[in-house]
Amino acid sequence: MNPEFQRNVWLELTPGRMIVMVAVLALAFFAAALTGGGLMSPGGMARWGYYIIVVIWGTRNAARAVVGEIRDRTWDGQRLFSLSAGTMMWGKLFGSTIFNWFGGAICLAVVLAEEVVRSGIAPALVHLGYYLALGVIAQSASLLASLIAIGRRQGRLQFEIFLYQAAGLAAAVIVWAIADPSGVSFSGLPRSDTIVWWGLPVPSQPFLLVSLVAFAAWMLTGCYRLMRLELKMRNGPYVWLGFLLFIGVYVAGFDAWLSSNTSLAQLDAPARRLFLAATTYVALGYVMAILEAKDRVRYRWLGAELARLHLGRAFAGFQGWMMSYLAAAILAAALLARLGVTGLFQEQAIVAAMLGFFTRDIAIIVLMNMLWHRRGGDFAAIAVLVLLYGLLPSIFGSLHLAAGEMLFAPRAADPAWLSPLVAWTEAVLAAVLAIVMIALPEERASPEFNRP
Amino acid sequence: MIDVRDLVYEYPTTRALKGISLHVDPQTITALVGPNGAGKTTLLRCLAALEDPYSGTVTVEGHDTRSEPRAIHSLLGYLPDFYGLYDSLSVRRVLSYAARSRGISPALTSAAVEKAAWRVGLMDRLDRKAGELSRGLRQRLAIGQSIVHEPKVLLLDEPAAGLDPQARRDLSGLLIGLRENGMTLVVSSHILAELEDYCSEMIIIEDGRIVGGQAVKVKDVERPRYMLEIATARSDLREFLEARAGVDVIEADQYHALFTHTKNAAARARLIRDLLAAGFEVSSFGESTRALESTYFSQVGKR
Repeated sequence: MNPEFQRNVWLELTPGRMIVMVAVLALAFFAAALTGGGLMSPGGMARWGYYIIVVIWGTRNAARAVVGEIRDRTWDGQRLFSLSAGTMMWGKLFGSTIFNWFGGAICLAVVLAEEVVRSGIAPALVHLGYYLALGVIAQSASLLASLIAIGRRQGRLQFEIFLYQAAGLAAAVIVWAIADPSGVSFSGLPRSDTIVWWGLPVPSQPFLLVSLVAFAAWMLTGCYRLMRLELKMRNGPYVWLGFLLFIGVYVAGFDAWLSSNTSLAQLDAPARRLFLAATTYVALGYVMAILEAKDRVRYRWLGAELARLHLGRAFAGFQGWMMSYLAAAILAAALLARLGVTGLFQEQAIVAAMLGFFTRDIAIIVLMNMLWHRRGGDFAAIAVLVLLYGLLPSIFGSLHLAAGEMLFAPRAADPAWLSPLVAWTEAVLAAVLAIVMIALPEERASPEFNRP
Repeated sequence: MIDVRDLVYEYPTTRALKGISLHVDPQTITALVGPNGAGKTTLLRCLAALEDPYSGTVTVEGHDTRSEPRAIHSLLGYLPDFYGLYDSLSVRRVLSYAARSRGISPALTSAAVEKAAWRVGLMDRLDRKAGELSRGLRQRLAIGQSIVHEPKVLLLDEPAAGLDPQARRDLSGLLIGLRENGMTLVVSSHILAELEDYCSEMIIIEDGRIVGGQAVKVKDVERPRYMLEIATARSDLREFLEARAGVDVIEADQYHALFTHTKNAAARARLIRDLLAAGFEVSSFGESTRALESTYFSQVGKR
């Protein structure tokens, strides 16, 4: 047995705790049955029990799986173990939550029994898939958030652990809103039996289930990759590229939903798909640029490799935000070409401006991290972005200088090229400043460049 | 066994190590000493491939900490200064978990656990919970965890902190035993008197640098340090000793001499006979037991 899982079983799954769990749940189901389904049926009670035990409590334990080891000063020893990153990740994720899964399994058995009696085996299996995916996604999101924070050398306070748990709970709420088989809507949209994806009507229930499995797999992959970093192993760029490809294809398939959006309705299907995928990459670029460690030494090494035209080595050292940026830029270029072909020049200018401002923002995030240490850099970058997208445009707006808003965000302008010109001027300035700050020798820095 | 070249390590706001170079021979016990905040723990963490240096290289048995950290991890045992134990688990389970996680097969785990427990003197407490052990016994258990897989290199950060005199003596014996079994040990500590018992070399770190630029030979088991004291001043004391075969004078004045000499009792007796025959009024002759402390204080603050 996986030693990490075994240790967690020793600690978590003691006979006393198991007896208490069984007794409490049995009491709850018995109480529900006694009311004759008036207040809540045993199945309804089991659903709530699952949400509480596996999702709410389980995300707490998953968030603490590694952070707790750091707090208890056992993590350094574990990092030296011979366990592979995968073994450690599985052992931590499912070991730390094994007691929750024990209680969850009892609840699921009741839910399944009720569904089989009410709707048959196939719908019961759909429920089983949904609940399992929900638990895995929620718990792995919490573990993922904690590993990201640990990689940034932060995250051991109770409040921070709560934030990792909150990340898992947020993921659970999204899954519940979109995919709950007992629900009546997809996140507010009316539920139907089919979903149009890549122009094809697909049965919604299997589609959602496969989607959940795919996203759960990516969550686990993310945990595995971050665990590798904790164990001092290197990650190549290809898994992130694979994720970009997956998410791009997945999101682009929902272009039919954009056809009802008036501002984008004039775009043809290929342009809408490119727009959706590029926007997703832009969002990932922002998220990763904020979350990933901005390491001056790594950036210098990358610069040196690029200068020597060692493109393969440089690419292997790319961070997630760099690849997301490149992917967004490539799709934006394709979108610009498509808009040119279809004669939508105003939209073309806005897309060019969006890419320019995205470039500027990424450069600002890097620049702020070169100017500030640790978390300060990211907070400063977020403050600058809030200033650029919120405060300054509103000041210009209140002064009835609406044209001035194009200095900060993509806006339709006359002439059309003015907005991209402004955006790219700012982008180049910010990028030059960031590069200068990376290259500028620190007061006490060694001149030697080392691969991080 | 361990080679460090121009090691620089930076925390976000501080440069903790400022260009450290050192070499540790196999099957030795090297003391890492220095004031609080000097960089000892950071250096140990870099040696354990737990931290990537800003610049410079660290190799352990030929493996670079940057390119092959996992190979180094498999060679190491590491006891941090503040360590944790799973208090709810028995000593046997704590050691079993460590053994299995260190790659020992299930079939060999029981034997490895018992050997580690025997080495650290916990055989009679295998079924006690870790949380019920005294501080000294917890320390032993933590060391047991670190050596259960028979590492080639053992890094110990303040292993004797908080131990009573008997536990410290036991620890010394344990470390000497591990070295004799082929391990290379690096021990960080504040307690110089305790290091004296088992360390052969000392690296003094102050403000992120090695004082004097290299390790200091503290004790040679084959050639210990001796202190000679004579009752009447003789200006030729150094000259006389240097003329004797096998004597290397470290320092001497008209009344005292500190020198190394073979541990052989007959050779020592011969030297004393020669001294008396030459008219030196020997009032004291014995192995110097304060070598490490005197070396430390003669080096720290010199820069």
